[in-house]
Amino acid sequence: MRPEPGFLATYLEPAQAARAVAALRARGQRDVRVAAPAPFPELMAALRAPPSFVGWITFPGALLGLTGGLLLTILTSLTWAEVTGGKPVVSLPPFIVITFELTVLVGSLANLLALVIGARRGLRRGHFAQGGPFTRDRIGIFCAGVDPAVERLLRESGAEEVTRVP
Amino acid sequence: MTSREAAFRRIEDAARAAHGPPGPAYFLALAIAGGTAAFGGWAYSLIVRGGLHWTGLERPGMWGNLITDFVFWVGIAHSGTLISAILFLFRARFRTAVYRVAEMMTVFAVMTAGLYPIFHLGRPWFAYWLLPYPNQRLLWPNFRSPLIWDVFAVSTYLIVSTIFLFVGVAPDAAALRDREPPGWRRKLYGALAFGWRGTDEQWRHYTRAYLFFAAFATPLVVSVHSVVSWDFAVSILPGWHSTLFPPYFVAGAILSGVAMVITILVPLRKAFRLEELITQRHLDMLCRLVILTSLIVTYSYATELLLAVREPASDPERGTFLYRLGGDYAPLWYLMVACNCLGPALLFLRRVRERPAALLAICVLVNVGMWLERFNIVVTSLAHDRLPFDWRVYTPSWVEWAMTFGAFGWFFFLFLLGLKLVPPISIAELKEEHAHGEAGAGLAGEEPHAP
Repeated sequence: MRPEPGFLATYLEPAQAARAVAALRARGQRDVRVAAPAPFPELMAALRAPPSFVGWITFPGALLGLTGGLLLTILTSLTWAEVTGGKPVVSLPPFIVITFELTVLVGSLANLLALVIGARRGLRRGHFAQGGPFTRDRIGIFCAGVDPAVERLLRESGAEEVTRVP
Repeated sequence: MTSREAAFRRIEDAARAAHGPPGPAYFLALAIAGGTAAFGGWAYSLIVRGGLHWTGLERPGMWGNLITDFVFWVGIAHSGTLISAILFLFRARFRTAVYRVAEMMTVFAVMTAGLYPIFHLGRPWFAYWLLPYPNQRLLWPNFRSPLIWDVFAVSTYLIVSTIFLFVGVAPDAAALRDREPPGWRRKLYGALAFGWRGTDEQWRHYTRAYLFFAAFATPLVVSVHSVVSWDFAVSILPGWHSTLFPPYFVAGAILSGVAMVITILVPLRKAFRLEELITQRHLDMLCRLVILTSLIVTYSYATELLLAVREPASDPERGTFLYRLGGDYAPLWYLMVACNCLGPALLFLRRVRERPAALLAICVLVNVGMWLERFNIVVTSLAHDRLPFDWRVYTPSWVEWAMTFGAFGWFFFLFLLGLKLVPPISIAELKEEHAHGEAGAGLAGEEPHAP
C-alpha cells in the first residue's frame, strides 16, 4: 500500500507530546498516530482511541476452555464408566479443577492470539520504521495531511523535529 | 544530551550490561551449576537403568526427597507471578525493577518442578500416559485423581508464565534491538521483540492484554499450590488430611519464592551494579512480603499443631504431630521453625534489612527451612501412619541427594543462561516511571559492567 503523506514530529517529553496530540484532535485532525517507548498514560488518554478488541477474543477463548474442560472430563469418564471409591462416575467437584485450569490456559492462549493480531494491525499504515528512536527515548507523532497549519502547530508545541513524510 | 535521554540510556545500558561479554566469575558459576546438574542427571540415569531401588523409598514411605523437591520448586515458582501479576493488579509500583528477575525465576523453577513427577515414575518413558489423548484402548486419565490435577495445574502454569514473561520482554527487546549493531544479538532481540515498534495501537492492545494475563495468572497462582496441597490433603493420612493445607501451602510458596528472589537479587544487583535501579527500597518491600508470609506460615504451624494435640491420646493425628516434635526427624522440625519463623522475624529490624549480607543469609535460611517444611510434611507423615507395624524411618539415598542438589544446579544453570538472553529489568516500565518521576533516584552514577 502506498504510504499516505503527513507530518512526523519527534518529542522528548510525554507531556509535550500529549499536549500536541490534544491540540491536533481539538483542531479536528482524526488520523493522528503515535509511537513511544512506553505506554505513557497522558499520551494514550490524549489520543482518545477506542477500547482494545482484545477482550472480545480472550473472553470467548476462556469460555471455550471452560466448555472444553467440562466436556473432556465428563465425556471421557462416561466412556469408561467405572465406579471408584463409591463416588459417582461424573464427579463435578474434582472436574472443576481441570475445568478451571483449561479455562485459564485457553483464555491465556486466546489473549496471546488477540495481542498478536492487535500488534500486527498496529504496524499497518505506520510511518514509524523499525530501528528508529521511538522504541528508545523519543515519542513520534504522525499526522496525516499536508496542511501547513499542522506543521506549525507541531513545531509550536515543542517538537524537536518535524518532517514531511514520505 | 538531556537528562531524560541520559536516564533512558542508563536504563537500557543496565539491561545491556547484563548481556555483555561474560567474565571468569560468570563462567565459574555456570560451570559449577552445570556440573552439579550433570551429576544429578547422571544419578537419575541410575534410576532409569536400575529402578527406584536406587532411592531410599520403601513402603509405606513411597514419597521422599523427590516429591519434597517437586513441592519445593513449585513453591519457588510462585513469587514470580505474585510479583508480576498480583502486585500489578494492586498497582504496587515497587515491582517494576524486580519483576523480570522473578518471572524468569518462575519459568525456570516450574521447568525444574515439572521434571520431578517424571523422575518419580517407575517407568518414566510412559509419562505421556498422564496426558489425555485419544487412544485405541479408550483409556483416559482419572480426572478424579489429584495427581492428574497436578499435571494440568503445573503444565498450565508453565505455559501461562512463559507467555507472560515473553509478552513483557517484547517492548524491551525492541528497545535493545534498535540500539544494537547488526549481528546475532540484534537478531535475537528482533526475535524476542516480535516486530514491536511501540505504536499507539500496539500499546493499546498490549496494556489490555497484559491486564488480562495478570487477571488470569492471579487465580492461577493460588490454584496451583492449592492443587499441589490437595495431593496430600485429599488423602486420609494423619498429618496430610487437613483443610488448612491450601492457604498454608500458598503462603509457604510465596515465602520461599520471595526469599529466592532476594537470594538472587542481592548478588545480581552487586554484580551488575544495578543499585540505582534495584534500590534498597525494593529490597525493603520484598522483606515486608517475607515477614507477612512468614507470619502466616508460623500461624499455620501453630494451628495444625495445637489442633492435633487437643485430640484424644488415641488419635493418630496427635501421634503424628508428637512424632514430629520428638521423633526421629525432630531436629529437622525445630530447624524448620528456626529458619521459617525466627529468621524472618529479624527482618522487623531496619538495620538487618539494610545489610545485604544479613538479608541474603536470612533468605538462604528461609529456603532451607521451606525445603525442610516439605520434607517434614511428606516424610514424617508417611513414616508414622495409623499402623505401628508400618512405622519406618526413611533416609534419602545419595542418588536422591544428588538429584536434589542437581535440581539447584539445573535451575541456576538455566537462570545464568537466561540472564544473558533476556533483559533482566523492565526497560519500558522503568522509562515510564522515570518520565513521571517515580524511578530509582539518580540514574546517573557509575557505569554498569559485566562480571
